[in-house]
Amino acid sequence: MGASLPPKEANLFKLIVKSYETKQYKKGIKAADAILKKFPDHGETLSMKGLTLNCMDRKPEAYELVRLGLKNDLKSHVCWHVYGLLYRSDREYREAIKCYRNALRIDPDNIEILRDLSLLQAQMRDLAGFVETRQQLLTLKPNHRMNWIGFAVSHHLNSNASKAIDILEAYEGTLEDDYPPENERCEHGEMLLYKISLLEECGLLEKALKELRKKELKIVDRLSYKEEEVSLLVKLNSFEEGEKLYRVLLTMNPDNYKYYEGLQKCVGLHSKTGEYSSDEIDKLDALYKSLGEQYTWSSAVKRIPLDFLVAEKFRDAADSYIRPLLTKGVPSLFSDLSPLYDHPGKANILEKLVLGLEESLKKTGGYPGKSEKEPPSTLMWTLFYLAQHYDRRGQYDVALAKIEEAMQHTPTVIDLYSVKSKILKHAGDFAAAAALADEARCMDLADRYVNSQCVKRMLQADQVSLAEKTAVLFTKDGDQHNNLHDMQCMWYELASGESYLRQNEVGRALKKFLGVEKHYADITEDQFDFHSYCLRKMTLRAYIEMLRFQDRLHAHAYFRKAAAGAIRCYIKLYDSPPTSSTEEDDELAKMPASQKKKMRQKQRKAEARAKKEAEVKNEEANVGVSKYGKRNVKTVDPDPNGEKLLQVEDPLMEGGKYLKLLQKHSPDHLETHLLSFEVNIRKQKILLALQALKHLVQLDAENPDTHRCLIRFFHKVASRPVPTTDSEKLISGVLEAERPSFSQLHGKSLMEANTVFLEQHKDSLMHRAAVGEMMYCLEPNKKAEAITLIQESLNNSPISSNGSLGAVKEWKLKDCVAVHKILVSTFDDRDAALRWKKRCGEEFPYSTYFEGSLCSTQTNVSKAEENGGISNGKIEKLDAMKNLAII
Amino acid sequence: MGAGRAVSISLDGVRDKNLMQLKKLNSVLFPVRYNDKYYADALASGEFTKLAYYNDICVGSIACRLEKKETGVVRVYIMTLGVLAPYRGLGIGTKLLNHVLELSQKQNIGEIYLHVQTNNEDAISFYKKFGFEITETIKNYYTNITPPDCYVVTKYIPQSQSKK
Repeated sequence: MGASLPPKEANLFKLIVKSYETKQYKKGIKAADAILKKFPDHGETLSMKGLTLNCMDRKPEAYELVRLGLKNDLKSHVCWHVYGLLYRSDREYREAIKCYRNALRIDPDNIEILRDLSLLQAQMRDLAGFVETRQQLLTLKPNHRMNWIGFAVSHHLNSNASKAIDILEAYEGTLEDDYPPENERCEHGEMLLYKISLLEECGLLEKALKELRKKELKIVDRLSYKEEEVSLLVKLNSFEEGEKLYRVLLTMNPDNYKYYEGLQKCVGLHSKTGEYSSDEIDKLDALYKSLGEQYTWSSAVKRIPLDFLVAEKFRDAADSYIRPLLTKGVPSLFSDLSPLYDHPGKANILEKLVLGLEESLKKTGGYPGKSEKEPPSTLMWTLFYLAQHYDRRGQYDVALAKIEEAMQHTPTVIDLYSVKSKILKHAGDFAAAAALADEARCMDLADRYVNSQCVKRMLQADQVSLAEKTAVLFTKDGDQHNNLHDMQCMWYELASGESYLRQNEVGRALKKFLGVEKHYADITEDQFDFHSYCLRKMTLRAYIEMLRFQDRLHAHAYFRKAAAGAIRCYIKLYDSPPTSSTEEDDELAKMPASQKKKMRQKQRKAEARAKKEAEVKNEEANVGVSKYGKRNVKTVDPDPNGEKLLQVEDPLMEGGKYLKLLQKHSPDHLETHLLSFEVNIRKQKILLALQALKHLVQLDAENPDTHRCLIRFFHKVASRPVPTTDSEKLISGVLEAERPSFSQLHGKSLMEANTVFLEQHKDSLMHRAAVGEMMYCLEPNKKAEAITLIQESLNNSPISSNGSLGAVKEWKLKDCVAVHKILVSTFDDRDAALRWKKRCGEEFPYSTYFEGSLCSTQTNVSKAEENGGISNGKIEKLDAMKNLAII
Repeated sequence: MGAGRAVSISLDGVRDKNLMQLKKLNSVLFPVRYNDKYYADALASGEFTKLAYYNDICVGSIACRLEKKETGVVRVYIMTLGVLAPYRGLGIGTKLLNHVLELSQKQNIGEIYLHVQTNNEDAISFYKKFGFEITETIKNYYTNITPPDCYVVTKYIPQSQSKK
């Protein structure tokens, strides 16, 4: 480095490097300038100065200098390395890899560059390259532990676990017998556990078990040792030994559900579906009774039997499970039991049981058959449970009566207000739900959870600015709600985006959805530091698990929601592009065609200019964002309302980016392919739309949306002009070949297929709506018939085992709203929509959407006030609270 | 009563973060809507205002105001003492009042007093158990409830010898 310089300058160059490493950037710049005074063209100095400036938030200069330096000294590995580092700091990993490779061409054995390269390869999952680089590192420095481990891990990631085992064993061969020394026991134990997990992965179960037991004394993590041992035993069908070991593990932690499941497997009493014969149930019952005697403090041992027991036995077990928890006052009791509501018949048993408790508590103050009195709070918790029970069953009026009774009994319990808010939300009264959540929030201003819950309810009620004000109470002083983005508060951004989308504020909605997408990019980015850290610290099992988690990161539900939201925004933008200003449009309309064209061109040019300017400004503003620079530099968001996001040239292409991620990571979700269909049919990409349709049919052919796509697709295709070009002919050929693969259309016209679909699902509202919509789409003159078809839908009570106590009807509020929207937008029939609204208002009296008789926006003023309303008074109150919250 | 069960009754101070709990209690316990001064006095009294928790549920409160007489002597005025109906008879009111009595003793406060509506016999006998006595009757003290008259109920605590 700096070899071509005279001694004085060479020393100065060393100083630059040292200053860079110790972050004394100003000192480095001074030294660099001193060299450049004498040797203004010295490449390596120019590069280092650039790299230093990069850390001082002077990005454009940095790039200029680094490139100039490289140009002056193309043969210097330093210049290439620096260029790579610069790209890496901007997350341009592919470019950085290229630079490192060039540097290595000049200096193939440079360990530092090799190490940096290997980290990038791991990050980019360039696995073959990763293996190669790690091999080189090991060859150069075989006495480093990290190089052995890195080489093994690279092979493992590159799907060659057996090679990884060989390498680890070779590494062990280099160790002395008394290895490891006391201070490295943990690391060595981790390495051994990693190797055994590799053996297990390769299916070498017996060898893994043998190795595990042989190294028992060297493995520090005793719990992992036992869990690994039992997992191997079960896989080797050594159930007797497995059972013994699971019982040992249970004495260590009698609340770990996995141990109970494992034990059940070992004694041959396990079914994946959770269904058992009556003989098996008796055996399980006996097993858990004996375990329960052993582990009296375990709640798992009491809870698990409720899953497999049925009828009378279930009733008794539930009774003795519930009683002490109501006495103690466990607010989460309902969520604990709610999975049981999916088991046939259990909801009814629970209902009768808890109603019995309520009756007895009211009459005697104690539980049935007990002379002992319960504390007064037991009745309140019982009512609290019942309210959630009836909410779950859709009987909102009963649920509200119960929760109000509980509030009358003890008006100070916050959970009561939260649950009432939830019931009202389910019943469709979002404004009242938000007001109640706010009441709950006010009862404990120090509780972030009730604050968050309140914010969410406000967003559901589309009170976005109020929600922002409330959320800000819990962000750092002075910071605006942008802080929520920095904290990666995704639920907030999603709920806010969805609210904006409902209110047709596409720009703001996009801003929020893309914000969430960015978090996922950041999470991917965040793994970078672990590539070196984990190898050094030997947390190999956790490292591999983390990498695998990262590989399926974008399958996460929040990402799915954000991507789907963004795509919907882009579709909306495409369908109804934002109009610049109405005045201009009027003028345009008056102009003759030729002038119009000129005008448009002018506009386009102006727009392009504005865009460029904005970009420059943006870049200037973004200088401070540099990830490796000072983090605390605050940048002003140049586009807080997402207005720029609206100005995309091709919204569908933008949407396509996110669609690709959905298709790659969430191929099993209907929504992915629905969106793909919508995007591609708009882009006239017939074959891609067909592909989406085929996925839809494969995933759920009976889904009303699938049906819609099917009919729409073939209807559209039928109206295509006669193919002229080769590619059009090709497409027609594919369509002809593919049509027979849709059994729905065999020998039928689209109208007939539509009718058949109706016959198959004539009791379902959403299916009828789809059929009606398609009937109108196929033959617009059948509009009246189609509307009648939808309106003749009946809200039946299902005749199921659950029907005995209080009828629960089939229609869902959400679906009825969707039908109303179809009547308004697709059919454009105000009368029909009004009739539908009136009818749904009766079915859902709490719904604000349908203006039902019991909803908060409909009832008299005094009630609205009591519920907090959404008037100005509300905001005042909030501001008052804000002052309090900051103290 | 919850005899024989492990029921815990605990007291907690009132702060701006949980002031709403006191407001909720008052709104169901008393026919009067208290003004901001009431809550400011309660917060200012510090340890003399307490919420009572029964199994972690807020069920009662005592709210006091510290008054300085012209002589400079401090006395305690109990503004409100109440427990939610279902939780009465469990010793919660006693615990709240005892807390204030003990605190007054510790701080060498010699006088604790309050107003009681003349027909509120339960309250009068409750306070008498703790050594309070009727010291005065004020006619037309209340404006919107009947009877409008009230008693002043006072307890004098003999000062400990440490008074110099």
